[in-house]
Amino acid sequence: MVLAVIAWTVAAVVYVVVHGFDTQFSMFWVFGLAFGFVLQRGRFCFASAFRDIFLLGHARNMKGLLLGLAVGAVGFGIVMSRQVPLTSLGIYPPSANVLPLGIHTALGGLLFGVGMVVAGGCVSGSVYRMGEGYVASWVAFGGVMAGLLLSAHTWNWWWDVHIAAAPRFWLPHWIGHPGALVVTLLALAAAYVLVLLIERRAGMVVPPAPRVHEPTESVLDDLRSTARTLFVHGWPVLPAGAILGGLNVLLFTAQEPWGFTGEVSRWSIGAASLVNLAPPPLAGVESLPGCVLVVSDGLFFNHMFFLVVGMFFGSFAAAVGAGEFKLRVPKRPVRYAQSLGGGVVMGYGSGIGMGCTIGAFFSAIPSLALNGWVFGGFLALGAWIGTHIIQRIE
Amino acid sequence: MAPTKLDVRGEICPYPMMRTVSALKKLAGDEPTLEVVTDHAPALETIPTQAARLGFRTDIEETGASEWRLMLTRNEVEEEA
Repeated sequence: MVLAVIAWTVAAVVYVVVHGFDTQFSMFWVFGLAFGFVLQRGRFCFASAFRDIFLLGHARNMKGLLLGLAVGAVGFGIVMSRQVPLTSLGIYPPSANVLPLGIHTALGGLLFGVGMVVAGGCVSGSVYRMGEGYVASWVAFGGVMAGLLLSAHTWNWWWDVHIAAAPRFWLPHWIGHPGALVVTLLALAAAYVLVLLIERRAGMVVPPAPRVHEPTESVLDDLRSTARTLFVHGWPVLPAGAILGGLNVLLFTAQEPWGFTGEVSRWSIGAASLVNLAPPPLAGVESLPGCVLVVSDGLFFNHMFFLVVGMFFGSFAAAVGAGEFKLRVPKRPVRYAQSLGGGVVMGYGSGIGMGCTIGAFFSAIPSLALNGWVFGGFLALGAWIGTHIIQRIE
Repeated sequence: MAPTKLDVRGEICPYPMMRTVSALKKLAGDEPTLEVVTDHAPALETIPTQAARLGFRTDIEETGASEWRLMLTRNEVEEEA
């Protein structure tokens, strides 16, 4: 409790200080805190959303994920219909994640899917678990940074051979704004029914134990009970998914969709240039939206820095408030190798796929872009392969 | 006889659940209970489901800051007539 108050005080002080430098910094700091808080409270893990369907026939996280995508699609759809009222002109919405679609999308999704399952979390999952004290997630994040750097060293080949000439597919160009939104929502609903069928076929699912309701006797008691529901007990996954989708719409309305592997690549490329391991100039990256690799600009802070660090800190503050922060140190050495290796594979996949489960998927399907679906399909395939791998390294 | 104990603290996702399932499968036929100690909150939802599918019920007790003891008890099998 005391620690939680200190954590939130620090968050507020950071807000006030950076607000004085640049209001964009403070806005992204607040978004980061909110994303991290909700990820931690909802235990919202994209890796398990895919993995648990294959491993357990259990779709808790996938249901929340699909709802978040639906909320995002409605919000993005409205924003984009104002940005590009006339779809017949062939213009793309400027900041939506409509990305070149090709082999790099498929391979990126596949590698990312394998890596996130082997490492025990995707990039956002690792960031929020870093805040909860999972040591292996710090290792995985280091792996992601290394993988992004590797992808930067091979980027120009991918650009020349695959990405530069790859087409971008934005559904509203084909079927207009309402049609694109309806088709996307129907596809999400179909996926929802599919995971319900998979769950039903796998047999019973035990719901989380109902909370014991302490009788309340005053308004103060009621307030205390509400606070416990929000800050101490884990959230059910559907509200968590819907809120993440809603936050993504807000961030898109304010500036750009949620996503951050581009920023993480800026850190690793920046660090690499200190030891003469910087990649050559990256072709074409300025022309691409989303989480494409970012060359270091020599600055330490930018708005995305505050988003990523805010996610970590929001999760940390949430975990401390719930009494869920604890250093968790794996005892088996193989877990460190798994986290590092999975992280590298994931990082490489997000480099060539121009995003992670957030940028290339959670923000791309709401962008009504075909690349989101292709990346998501290959994420599932990769997660399936990853599920086989982890069962062999118990 | 004290129940067989499995300590999966520190493990990364999803090994708390996977190692519990392996231990349940290895549990001798006359052993009624497996005790699992974990610090991985998501396992509180996955372990009860997997245990139920193997015929065990789960009782969860919070034993400390982000630490739980799960008692997995074999359901009584109906005697065949």
